Amino acid sequence: MPEEVTRRSFFGKAIAAIAGSIALILSVPILGYTILPALRKREEPWSEVGPVTQLEMNQPKELEVVRSVSSGWMKAASVRSIWAFRKPEGEVVVYSPICTHLGCGYHWDDQKKKFLCPCHNSSFDLNGQVLGGPAPRPLDALPAKVEGDRLYVVYKEFKSGISRKEEI
Amino acid sequence: MMKRISAWISKRLNLPPVLHHLLDEKIPGGASWIYIFGSVTLFLFLLQALTGMFLAIYYAPTPDHAYESVRFIQEEIPFGSFIRGLHHWGASAMMVMIGLHILQVFLYGAFKAPREMMWMVGGFLLILTLSFGFTGYLLPWDQKAYWATQVGINLVGTVPWIGGALTRILRGGGDLGALTLSRFFAVHTLFLPWLVVMMIALHLFILRRVGAAGPWDKKKAEAVSEPFYPRQVFMDAVAMGVMFIVLVVLAANVPAHLADRADPTDTTFRPVPEWYYLFYYQFLKYFEGRFEIVATFVIPLLFFGIFFAIPFLGRRWERIPVKRPMAMILGGLFLVFVFTMLGLAVKETASIVVADPAIARGKAIYAKLACAGCHRIQGEGAQVGPDLSYEGDKRDKTWLEAHFKDPQSLSPGSFMPSVRLSEAELESLTRYMLSLKKEAR
Repeated sequence: MPEEVTRRSFFGKAIAAIAGSIALILSVPILGYTILPALRKREEPWSEVGPVTQLEMNQPKELEVVRSVSSGWMKAASVRSIWAFRKPEGEVVVYSPICTHLGCGYHWDDQKKKFLCPCHNSSFDLNGQVLGGPAPRPLDALPAKVEGDRLYVVYKEFKSGISRKEEI
Repeated sequence: MMKRISAWISKRLNLPPVLHHLLDEKIPGGASWIYIFGSVTLFLFLLQALTGMFLAIYYAPTPDHAYESVRFIQEEIPFGSFIRGLHHWGASAMMVMIGLHILQVFLYGAFKAPREMMWMVGGFLLILTLSFGFTGYLLPWDQKAYWATQVGINLVGTVPWIGGALTRILRGGGDLGALTLSRFFAVHTLFLPWLVVMMIALHLFILRRVGAAGPWDKKKAEAVSEPFYPRQVFMDAVAMGVMFIVLVVLAANVPAHLADRADPTDTTFRPVPEWYYLFYYQFLKYFEGRFEIVATFVIPLLFFGIFFAIPFLGRRWERIPVKRPMAMILGGLFLVFVFTMLGLAVKETASIVVADPAIARGKAIYAKLACAGCHRIQGEGAQVGPDLSYEGDKRDKTWLEAHFKDPQSLSPGSFMPSVRLSEAELESLTRYMLSLKKEAR
């Protein structure tokens, strides 16, 4: 049964409606303002690594990538290393420098022709496949391209310790 | 469901007597639209507190980052320009409402016994609000903020004997810099809010102890006695709603200004204060040299001295305006003085050509992209491409923007490269092009 609208209840409802509308109208921009920027995915740019001619055939080399990292309104340069080599077909392969097991840095052993991780003895072949040790997945390849004689990569990091390659 | 929950809470906390105390305060003479100014001011203060807290989410109070963080809010954060706009226009609206509130209390003689203390606490609230305006002004760290604050602090320096020490304390040292910005930020966001909240609480506490003043006509006041709720609350809510809509429309359509980044080496910048300081800024111009101190120190001191003394100046307890000719004439003269000064200042400042900061940014982009390698402006640059000296007369915004993105689509065969810029940079470059007009020279 509908309640009778008295003068008093009309004023009460009108006040609640005005206050409610103000709160509602405010909450949309405020939530957008606070939450949307936090959900925005960072767009990683292509970073120039240097001349591609410094890479040798099937001979991984550690290179430095200087990338421009933005944090809010600030931009800063950040240096990361990568492992890269050329395949006989001319294709360039670039690996993230982080072992897929627990995130240590590995290195290329030229005698054994293997990537070795010193922390828990994971080892990988030239194609990044796991040869031994606890590593759950192959080395993480990074997007790479050659323009003119310059090598460009997109530096990314992936979660360690899981068998899927999942970007952080 | 909601009803059962509220009934449950109400029973546990025994709310009815609290609500009765809060809402059934008697208003002599009944509810009226003339009483809304105080409530709207309170609403605006709460809105300022809310938008201010959210601005602080992205704001960095250091000279290295303040300007960039405000620009970030203004241009890159979703609704950032809107939230900052609400805070900016809310400040102005607060000044207007406080002005109307004081005017109404003065006209109604509502400051007279037993409400003298309320008037005085109100005076402190006025000073605190003006301090909010002064300290908030510096925070964007743009040219306007920097130079207007420089002037404001120098005014304090004219105070006899302790002026020098005061300016050092305000600045946090010998010059306006990182220490000034961080202390203005702290005062604006931490010190003043608590002081204002305490003063508002005191203001309202006194109101509840002495009761609302009601109409000046005693018979009218005694004829009706209506509780605060619901009619007065309704009127207050409608006024707040209307004020809110005005602010939303302003914030959405007229963005708060952000000039170029503060540049202490640039002495060509002419600072003009926010409009609520403008009448005083104009007044200062009439006092030079030795007499400057009259305007910077003696008169403000006198003004606030008189302001706080107002409840004790009239001899008779008389609230009807026509029976208080002296108060009305003096009050009227003060208003005439304020508005004359404001009018003169507006007239003078309107004649200052305000440089659009976007044009300066556009000019910098023009230089960075080495456009002068092909184009000529007023005799400067190569004559390979078209002369751009009067480009603003020839082209419009749409043409220019389309042209920058893809020159060949509009000028087939042109070897002008497409300009790869962000939308904001493109806008600035276009604004610069549009400013190149014959009449502007």
